[in-house]
Amino acid sequence: MGDTKTQSTVVDEEFEAIADLEKLKDCFECGICTASCPVHELLDGYYNPRILLETLFLEKTAITGEEGLWLCAWCYRCYKRCPQGLKPPEIFNNAKNLAVRRGVTEPMEKALARILSSIPLPLVTLRLCFHPERAGIDEALLEELVSKTYEREVLSRKPETEKHVDKKVAVIGAGPAGLTLAYELSRKGYPVTVFDALPEPGGMLRKCIPTFRLPREVLDKEISRLQELGVTFKTKVKIGENLDFQKLWKEGYKAVFVAAGAHKCRELRVEGVELEGVIHALDFLSKANSGEKANIGEKVVVIGGGNVAVDSARTALRQGAKEVKIIYRRSRAEMPAIPWEVSEAEKEGVKIEFLASPKRFIGENGKLKAVECLRMQLGEPDASGRRKPIPIEGSEFTEEADTAILAIGESPDVSFLPEEVELNPDGTVWINPITMETTMKGVFAGGDVATGPATVIEAVLAGKKAAYSIAKYLEET
Amino acid sequence: MSEKDVSKAEAEEIRIGVYVCHCGLNIAGSVDCAEVAEFASTLPHVVLAKDLRYTCSDQGQEIIKQDIKEHRLNRVVVASCSPRLHEPTFRKVCEEAGLNKYLFEMANIREHCSWVHLYNRKAATEKAKDLVKMAVMRAALLQPAVESEVPIRPEALVIGGGVAGIQAALDLADTGYHVYLVEKEPSIGGRMAQIDKTFPTMDCSICILAPKMSDVGHHPNITLLTYSEILDVKGYIGNFKVKVLKKPRYVTSDCTACGECAKVCPMIAPNEFDVGLAIRHAIYTPFAQAVPSTYVIDRELCLNKEGVIVCDKCTKACERQAINFEMKPEEIELEVGTIIVAIGADVFDPSIIPQYGYGRYPNVITSLEFERLINAGGPSGGKLLRPSDMQIPKTVAFVQCVGSRSEKTGKPYCSNVCCMNTIKDALLIKEHWPETQIYVFYVDIRAFGKGFEDLYRRARKEGVIFIRGLPAEIVEDKQTRDLWLIGENTLQKKLYRIRVGMVILSVGLEPRKETDLIQRLLTLSRSKDGFFMEAHPKLRPVDAATGGIFFAGCAESPKDIKDSVTQASAAAARAGILMAKGKVTVEALTPIWIPEKCQACGLCVKVCPYNAIKLDKERKKIEIIEAACAGCGTCGAECPFGALVMRHFTDEQIIAQIDAATEVDADKKIIAFCCNWCSYAGADFAGVSRIQYPENVRIIRTMCSGRVAPKFVERAFARGAAAVLVSGCHLGDCHYINANYQTKKRVERLWKKMEKAGLNKERLQLVWVSAAEGEKFAAKIREMQPIVESVTPEEIEKAKEVFQKALEL
Repeated sequence: MGDTKTQSTVVDEEFEAIADLEKLKDCFECGICTASCPVHELLDGYYNPRILLETLFLEKTAITGEEGLWLCAWCYRCYKRCPQGLKPPEIFNNAKNLAVRRGVTEPMEKALARILSSIPLPLVTLRLCFHPERAGIDEALLEELVSKTYEREVLSRKPETEKHVDKKVAVIGAGPAGLTLAYELSRKGYPVTVFDALPEPGGMLRKCIPTFRLPREVLDKEISRLQELGVTFKTKVKIGENLDFQKLWKEGYKAVFVAAGAHKCRELRVEGVELEGVIHALDFLSKANSGEKANIGEKVVVIGGGNVAVDSARTALRQGAKEVKIIYRRSRAEMPAIPWEVSEAEKEGVKIEFLASPKRFIGENGKLKAVECLRMQLGEPDASGRRKPIPIEGSEFTEEADTAILAIGESPDVSFLPEEVELNPDGTVWINPITMETTMKGVFAGGDVATGPATVIEAVLAGKKAAYSIAKYLEET
Repeated sequence: MSEKDVSKAEAEEIRIGVYVCHCGLNIAGSVDCAEVAEFASTLPHVVLAKDLRYTCSDQGQEIIKQDIKEHRLNRVVVASCSPRLHEPTFRKVCEEAGLNKYLFEMANIREHCSWVHLYNRKAATEKAKDLVKMAVMRAALLQPAVESEVPIRPEALVIGGGVAGIQAALDLADTGYHVYLVEKEPSIGGRMAQIDKTFPTMDCSICILAPKMSDVGHHPNITLLTYSEILDVKGYIGNFKVKVLKKPRYVTSDCTACGECAKVCPMIAPNEFDVGLAIRHAIYTPFAQAVPSTYVIDRELCLNKEGVIVCDKCTKACERQAINFEMKPEEIELEVGTIIVAIGADVFDPSIIPQYGYGRYPNVITSLEFERLINAGGPSGGKLLRPSDMQIPKTVAFVQCVGSRSEKTGKPYCSNVCCMNTIKDALLIKEHWPETQIYVFYVDIRAFGKGFEDLYRRARKEGVIFIRGLPAEIVEDKQTRDLWLIGENTLQKKLYRIRVGMVILSVGLEPRKETDLIQRLLTLSRSKDGFFMEAHPKLRPVDAATGGIFFAGCAESPKDIKDSVTQASAAAARAGILMAKGKVTVEALTPIWIPEKCQACGLCVKVCPYNAIKLDKERKKIEIIEAACAGCGTCGAECPFGALVMRHFTDEQIIAQIDAATEVDADKKIIAFCCNWCSYAGADFAGVSRIQYPENVRIIRTMCSGRVAPKFVERAFARGAAAVLVSGCHLGDCHYINANYQTKKRVERLWKKMEKAGLNKERLQLVWVSAAEGEKFAAKIREMQPIVESVTPEEIEKAKEVFQKALEL
């Protein structure tokens, strides 16, 4: 990083565009951002957002030379917990922008090499999490750079020679957490078999993430690399139906990793949900992503404020909807969806109706015609830390719509798990926070099934942590 | 001077004496004082003008006194330092020579001239002449005035029976005043009664508080009103009328607190005093040392809540027959001269920080809950027991700044007491169970008070581990109910994952929920953090801006016991001063109502920050309550009919200053209106700091920027001024509660008017300058130079035309 370009002095005005620079003075370096950051853990502390923010504060002219800027995975976990409400992903992105404008490329190249060599599922996470293109890099150039670096850093590397043939590991769920664990353990020489109920591996990555965000070739490439590493995939296998835990132990599996995700849509209990035209977000996305033409109308409303709601809205636009409106019961500040992606959706034309909640769906001849909504106001914060929406009486208004996509949250379907695996009150699987072991010996869990819906990078971290724990467990038994 | 003398003085011919002070070389170093004096002697009504080396010296004062007598002077102008410094001195000189003190005027040629224009003697001398001219023109219009007196009733009300309220009440009662102490809970004692030990001395909290509580209960000068709420407050300094609601206890004072009733009561609820960690019955006493000790029945919980007696267990158990379900709420009217607000603070509720799991994980508790657990009189008999399994934890973590120093979760300020409280708590654990491993997670440890650092060191020496970096999350181990704290040790740049048996969230303090109500009833102001705002942060730290009201304890800001007690004694002393004097003089700055001009439109009533004007719409009458008026003058500025004459800052006097300042070279000048408390003082501070700025500004002082009527600004432009500056205290810091919001409104209206008329609105500037912001004031004047320089003669003429009407006043 010592070249003249990165060291050159930068005029102050260029920094004025950096978001929250003034608010940064409120930072007391409590460390919450770093301790919340999945990449900090994935890279064993190499990336530290707190120190990066401090660099920006102390010697901002040096910031464009920082590789760390490019290692932020946009999960906004730091922002959600920051006592001062800072948005490090956006602060860093502005600094990256500045680096691009100034032609400082070396730190980005280094970061790419590091991501591709050290982060599991690098091609997927680069697309879905790290987003170097958001800094304004030419996408074709970036594409070329990625494939060149991938060649050099990943494909040329030999897997470990050590083999633990007798220590088979079963993974339930071929989503990002399961794939990561398979990747990590197979590289260490453990035989890994990944089971999945769906016809093809990928989990939410294949079923729900829109193809415009993740081209399926990229996912396929990642999976074929896992196959090259020796991972076995067994799809269309439903635990509890074609396979059970007893059988797994009998077949010689020494440890099980449950990474079944959160595929159950939460139900909305209002009048008219049974109408034709009222559909669940995951069904809609899965249909749209499989290439089928989803059956939606021209005026679409999406109920919910999470990432699935935003993905549904953007997909609906691409499926030909003329008008797409998200209806969310709190305000923008409380939206669980990634803020950046919300603004991207808005740029594409998605409208958002804040502080509103559906009261009933109005039909005509069994078909949805309009949604009657109720205005909300925010009260005191509830146990989620967000201000609670309170309906305003008599504030009803109607939105015309022929399709309503329900995306009010997802939860795991854990009916297949043996009773020994205890659950949390919210229906997720309880795991030891450090070892990720469930209450059943030899059974570990991670990803959405244990945390509820989260980002891809968080699932990747769960997979990596579980891989470490399982390897340790297998060594000890 | 009697009223008769006043009217005599009015009839006399005006004879002004001007004294130009050298102040050694402070003024004479950059201003030719002799030349200024000579100039002054040419001004109208001036019968003599002298330059003196030190006008404030005894010698200088003698000269003025002699001249007043010898030359029959009836107005005196001293051109020297800031009136904020020596106006009282010279007013006294005038009074000693038999001249009403309101006939004295000052020109500030030191802070506003010689010190800020050190290197241009000619320009500084010219400016000094202008300032003297402005003072002389104003002096000619000054009127003598008699200050009115308001009696102060020698009784006080203390709101809140925590340690601050207790101390204030005792101090006042010991001085000999009668005190009403109103407490909303059934017992006095407040937060201090809940706390186990106090830092840094580790005294037993209730042991040192209980004797004071009992003193309050027995003091002949104290009327204790517990279980009572303030309903309404009317009146003003010296004469407040307060309505108090005394809720029925349903137990008479015959109660001996034997407790037989509670033993048989079938109903239970969480005990508020133990923060819900223990239970109480429907008939109960909050804690053993309660004052009064009389039991109370929670009628909402009691089986007899509907008014029908379905359970008489307590009645039967009471030998003294002290239970009376017929008791009714009582409204009591009090008349008091002073009020001390000591309503205390609430604690932050950490359940809104989901990642800390408070409310979800039984072994995560707050620092207040900890106090009850470690207290021998508390629900666990002083044993620190984990709520999950009633075991004593072997490892404990404290998490600091929960709800404090956060822009998002909680409050942005530091709660002041939590660091030391945690250190004390850690030592308490060490004292009882020395083997306990204790971690404190912090961002900064603030051990700033007497004996605090020693306590901090002691904790470190006893093995308490301090880790810099707050946990990002706390997760529970399902089997053991132990807790993992995950965070970054920011000094080591490493993640920590530490397992403990119990977590204590060191929660911050926030304003009491009742703060809104008390603020409204007493017309108080609050600072940004929500606590009550003092009249002056340094020099009047316990006074409210509203006369006769004082603050004690956490009502004003989070503070520890020692500071609360200190402040309470200070508040008592301040209230005592008023009551000992028995009366208060009101500066003659209040408005005079001209009934003929008044249309009873009520605009003045709306802008008065003190509710000091009452409107009688039917009789087309307003009434000014002089004692409540603070003299900001915003009513005078608002009145469209000239029906309110602001004494000592009349329209004519201010206009005379504007006219004098714009007589020569108006098109190169800035006319600045500065409020007395902040911006004028800020300009003084620029002088004291010798911050240099251009000479072309002429400052006119008003008590508040709210006094600046739009017509003053228009007049300055109509007279050809290049630019006008209006300057006041920062919004929220106004010395007249909120009068400067009127300033903002008026300036914004003027801007619109200028824009509409095609004038460059930049010629009118508004700036908030605090008394400490000398540089900001100077910078504003510098910043305005390009505007002044770019104003064309055509623009000047156009403004003159647009505002022509202002010349008619």
